[in-house]
Amino acid sequence: MAEQIDALVAAAIHDAKNALMHLDTQLAEMACRPTSADFSAARATTSRIAGQLTELLTLYRAQGGQLRLVIDDHDLPDFIDDLLVELGPLPENFQLDCTRDAADQLGAWAFDAYLVKLALLDALRNALRHARSRVRFSLQTAAQGGLCFEVADDGPGFPVAILAGESTASSQGTGLGLSFARLIAERHATPAGKHGHVVLANLPGASFKLTLP
Amino acid sequence: MDLRGKRGLLIEDNGDMRASLRAQLATAGLEQCEVARNIKEAVDRLHRARPDLVVCDYNLGQGTDGQQFLEMVRRKKQLPLSCAFLMITGENSYEQVATAAEYTPDDYLLKPFTADKLATRITRVLDKKAALLPIYRWMGTKPDPEKALAACEELLTANQRYALDILRLKGELLPSLGRHAEALAHYAYILTQCATPWASVGHARALVALAREDEARSELEQALAAYPNYLAAYDLLAQIIAKTDKSAAQQVMEQALKVAPSTQRTRELGALAMENKDFSRAEAAFKRVVDKDRSGFFKSQDDFAGLAKSCVEQGKTTEALAAIKDLGNSFSRSPELEARQAALESQAHAKAGDTAAAKAALERALTVSREAKLDALTALEVSQACFSNGRSEEAKALIQYVAENHHEDDAVLARAQGVFAAAGLHDEGTIFLEATKKRMIKLNNDAVGMAKSGDIDQAIAMLTEAADRLTNNAQIALNAALALLMHIHRNGADSDKIAKAHRYILQAIQANPDHPKLGEVSSFYRKVAPPDAPPLEDV
Repeated sequence: MAEQIDALVAAAIHDAKNALMHLDTQLAEMACRPTSADFSAARATTSRIAGQLTELLTLYRAQGGQLRLVIDDHDLPDFIDDLLVELGPLPENFQLDCTRDAADQLGAWAFDAYLVKLALLDALRNALRHARSRVRFSLQTAAQGGLCFEVADDGPGFPVAILAGESTASSQGTGLGLSFARLIAERHATPAGKHGHVVLANLPGASFKLTLP
Repeated sequence: MDLRGKRGLLIEDNGDMRASLRAQLATAGLEQCEVARNIKEAVDRLHRARPDLVVCDYNLGQGTDGQQFLEMVRRKKQLPLSCAFLMITGENSYEQVATAAEYTPDDYLLKPFTADKLATRITRVLDKKAALLPIYRWMGTKPDPEKALAACEELLTANQRYALDILRLKGELLPSLGRHAEALAHYAYILTQCATPWASVGHARALVALAREDEARSELEQALAAYPNYLAAYDLLAQIIAKTDKSAAQQVMEQALKVAPSTQRTRELGALAMENKDFSRAEAAFKRVVDKDRSGFFKSQDDFAGLAKSCVEQGKTTEALAAIKDLGNSFSRSPELEARQAALESQAHAKAGDTAAAKAALERALTVSREAKLDALTALEVSQACFSNGRSEEAKALIQYVAENHHEDDAVLARAQGVFAAAGLHDEGTIFLEATKKRMIKLNNDAVGMAKSGDIDQAIAMLTEAADRLTNNAQIALNAALALLMHIHRNGADSDKIAKAHRYILQAIQANPDHPKLGEVSSFYRKVAPPDAPPLEDV
């Protein structure tokens, strides 16, 4: 019975997600005509919900042993361009500093661009929600090899319980994004046995680092 | 990049989707765009339109998909590497496209998407194709891997942007020149820079070429732990394991099929299951292949033969005969088809104990095989029927003819070994085939030795006799041409010898257009042939 309900939930989520993705495309087409703030806001909402449902579905699949990553080479400058386009226009008076020298230097990297993009979009949206006025997005090679994306903001930082790993959810969030980011980081692996990981810190603003092996 | 001067080909079976995509492509600036509704039309348009870009939906109906189309046209070199291939997929088929092993699309786009996004992706992929063109130029229908490698080196020093793509191409070129140790070092270097599945598999492939198969196997197992749906790793692993343990290889293939249900792998699984005497599994696999493709475009006579034989082995004579009949209805009539049907029928009747019917069918097959030159697989089918009827000497004569014609082709030799094994003559087959192979190598070596030591006439006599008898042996034909050309080089032009050399080169191309010595002999021909000699460019 429990399995049946689970399957129904998954199917419903799947349908809702697809419908929202379709709406997202339609809105994107509308946004090409004279821009309206309403359209952009609606788009931001739909892509956020579609993203969250995809994250939920991914976690659900992982639980059932059905999650498969699609590891392929991706051009990093293109990947960052796509990410910023999908993030959409920033709220007024907000600034996003994007350091991309490392992307140009590295060229390409092998990872699941679809899932990693979702995790980073979620982190960026989260940072924009908590930042006072600035969000920093950067990419660098990790000290032990690997690729490290960092999203940092000038807000109050993560709650202590989240930093201590006692919780993934804050008062304003479901914790879905963080669970998802940890899952897909861990699922990125190399034949040598290295895995990806997520590190949170307060600098004092929040810093989210997603490292891929 | 301005798309207005570019030519496109859109392949999509669904009318509404086709119209909508066509409009999106026009918005993106791609105004010159042919459309195809199915694979048959796509092949036709591809020849006519010579597109710069193919946009193809994954699901093409009638049990066919865009990946099958891509594999077919890239393998047959009908789609030059300089032409970009963009696959459009739904979420359900995304994994299958992204994990494709040998022939991957240049990019894939997940539905739904905006015209803007489509334009961005097209521009990127065409920019990359343009940047890599100096390499692709030497990887087409007249390949020159040396020049392609030189182009890789040149681009690597100048181009940071597509470095990983260039390194990947370089890794594919080195083994084609037999430079396996360099390929190994090359992949090892890439893996120190970044972990990427194709480099792991490339490294393992180089290890296999250097006869370090145990290391390759453990590397592939580690690669699959990290990339559990990277199909190329399963393919290579199954290939290695199959040499020593066919039933373990079958299990690897089963795992790969769980990742993506491909026709080619189902076929290979069927063949492995046959060898493992797992006949019901083989039947299910071949049945799936035969039933899946309703377009008829990717059907192979082998699939029906596999289905028939798996039924024969289980004593399902009625089902076997139905599959053989189905084989006849699915392909246009030819001597090969007739011989194959008769040979399979004979095996079915023999297994059912109907010796008279078995003998009659075998006689039909043998009559065709005496009148027409059969391809290797059909000839082997007839030889298997000979064994089933207790006529071993005729069976062996047929196998010998096939093995002499294909002594460099491991796949054909393995099939020949399979025929021996099915007749319960595994060890005898190994010795027989090994001896045939050695005899052919010796013939070539002796003749080349003679030519080098000055006895060119004797070498020519030996090689042309063999080349006239074994018309499917590319190496013999090329050596015959080479000996004739050496004669011309030393003694001056001789129109009869020129014509013969030309004919043997064409014969070699017919037998194996990818033979590694073809380039060398063709260049020598162009060098020594007088201006009025028949040209080779027309081939």
